[in-house]
Amino acid sequence: MVKVFIEKENRKTSAKAKDIEELIRKLSINKEEVIIVKNNELTPRNEKLKDSDEVKFLSVVSGG
Amino acid sequence: MCRNCETKPVIFLTNNKKGLCKSCFFRYFERKFSRTISQFKLIEPNEKIGVAISGGKDSLTLLYLLNKLKSKKRFRIEALLIDEGINGYRDNTIKDARKFCRNLKIKLNIVSYRKEFGYTLDALIKKLKMKPCSICGVFRRYLINKYSRKLKFDKIAMGHNLDDEVQSIMMNQFRNNQEVSARLGPITGIKSEKKFIRRIKPLYMLTEKEVMTYAYLRSFNLKFCECPYNTEAYRISVREFINNFESKYPGTKHSMINSFMETLPLLKMKYKNSSEIKYCRKCKEPSSKDVCQACEIRSKL
Repeated sequence: MVKVFIEKENRKTSAKAKDIEELIRKLSINKEEVIIVKNNELTPRNEKLKDSDEVKFLSVVSGG
Repeated sequence: MCRNCETKPVIFLTNNKKGLCKSCFFRYFERKFSRTISQFKLIEPNEKIGVAISGGKDSLTLLYLLNKLKSKKRFRIEALLIDEGINGYRDNTIKDARKFCRNLKIKLNIVSYRKEFGYTLDALIKKLKMKPCSICGVFRRYLINKYSRKLKFDKIAMGHNLDDEVQSIMMNQFRNNQEVSARLGPITGIKSEKKFIRRIKPLYMLTEKEVMTYAYLRSFNLKFCECPYNTEAYRISVREFINNFESKYPGTKHSMINSFMETLPLLKMKYKNSSEIKYCRKCKEPSSKDVCQACEIRSKL
């Protein structure tokens, strides 16, 4: 399971996914509205995931 | 790989599909910022520029870059923050803004609703039966203009990015509100109108995602913080619509801005007379009506 943090919802979760694209689909995240940080590194394109990985979805949308 | 130097990219720019590493992205971002200022003549030498900040990623990126550019382009800056009085939200972002300004040695001016109108936004919402954004939008604009003038700013820089502008254009299209679109663009206002301080948007050609990537890589350490009164449901729907479209058809947002920039001179010409600025008979501030919206709201208190 990949550890996930969704900043906009301030929610930690975990999910099974073979790559980032699959994770995005499973979590219904619009990739235009986030930047993706995998193991503390910005990850702009699809990459394979393994169980120990940590993925953060940081919101790019202004908070008002 | 990065298009320029074959190292690991931090971003892919959707408009031209090129990947950029951290240092090439900084160069791209800062050049685009500087070019926007030159291309649209946003800042003249020796001007005093106010920077409207909230403590969020857009305004702090704007402040950081203007501070970086001020010696080269020979202008001065000061920050202006409007404290609406939103408990548990604005107090946190004020702390971030204070720290940021202290580190960069930039003067920070804070103007509060409480001092100016006698009430915080929290209290106003309880008192008036109005949507929070309807009160806040009017009072913020009013105070930004009034204090920009008091602080002798030649112009006030706003943190609006390409996404904000595209959303506004689209909202005005959907609502058949072209007259409001005529007031958009990278610089607004009329040079000869001394009471209305011109607004500039140096982040105009940069997307929200680019700004967030820049703020993240510069370690501005921003936490996502949403206004509890963020009820602008229409804008949120339009934003989701555009972002879904951009995901499917990359480059849509840039096409919209470029096409808007072609029609903007025509819109400005068409609505030239109706955008004439009058003065509120109560507070003497610039207004489109006899009594400005801020005084209208205040009369209900």
